[in-house]
Amino acid sequence: MTNPTVAEAWVAAPLKRLMEDARLISGVLLYPSGRAVGQFGFSNAADVMSICALTSAINASARELGRQLDGKPFYEMHHAGAERQVFMARAAAGAQEFLFVGVFDRESSLGVVEIYFSEFQKALEKLLPENQAVQVRPSGDFEGELNRSLDALFGPIGKK
Amino acid sequence: MRAVSQVVASLSRVPGVVAAMVVGASDGLIIEASQIVGYAPGATDTRRPTAALAAYLYSKVNRASDAARLGTPAFMRLEAEKGHICVVGASDVVLVTIVAPDANLGRVRLDMMNAAKDNR
Repeated sequence: MTNPTVAEAWVAAPLKRLMEDARLISGVLLYPSGRAVGQFGFSNAADVMSICALTSAINASARELGRQLDGKPFYEMHHAGAERQVFMARAAAGAQEFLFVGVFDRESSLGVVEIYFSEFQKALEKLLPENQAVQVRPSGDFEGELNRSLDALFGPIGKK
Repeated sequence: MRAVSQVVASLSRVPGVVAAMVVGASDGLIIEASQIVGYAPGATDTRRPTAALAAYLYSKVNRASDAARLGTPAFMRLEAEKGHICVVGASDVVLVTIVAPDANLGRVRLDMMNAAKDNR
């Protein structure tokens, strides 16, 4: 297991703990706008870029679907594949909302991931820097935001 | 096959059982759970994490038992400072009980094994 790479240092410790305790294979923490905050298990910026874009879109769709079906947005989603499973959930810290997507296999279970994810949420709440207590809103420049966050995670493309 | 609610109700009536649960063996999620004996309103509900981690632990014990060529584990008991966690596998579910330290463990074991046998 490799340590998480992060765009914001304060998420490194809780992300590492979540990865280890829940025995996740890979995971990405991002803002709902699609901007990556931290990741583990990926060595390729393009993979993280795809995951951020898809997670952001899935969250927006699921949120609306939840509103229409249940009167409130869905909180988390789980997909059990034949070998691997995907867990996707929202985490709130103060006014700031994050999305998390993680992949696990038979070495873990949904129940275990849920337990450690709730601890992760509490850690985010506790560690959120005061200057981030105000919600980070999308600037409207989706691609630029995503690229800047990927540069922070993997280094500028072509400058390695 | 007995209904899971019946299994939980009968296990929770065994003296010394603090909580009884039927849990998904692969996902660790609670299917049915009894109330916690002596639960104070506002106190932390320990059932969900106990269920998830006990099912996870049981799956690892299963692998250890298999590696040692001992076959499927019949009964798992974790003895802690303030009580026990007992787990029995029954097909796709595991029965989990949180048990007081002074409970009659023989009775708990027998009832859990019988309940599991009925559900296999």
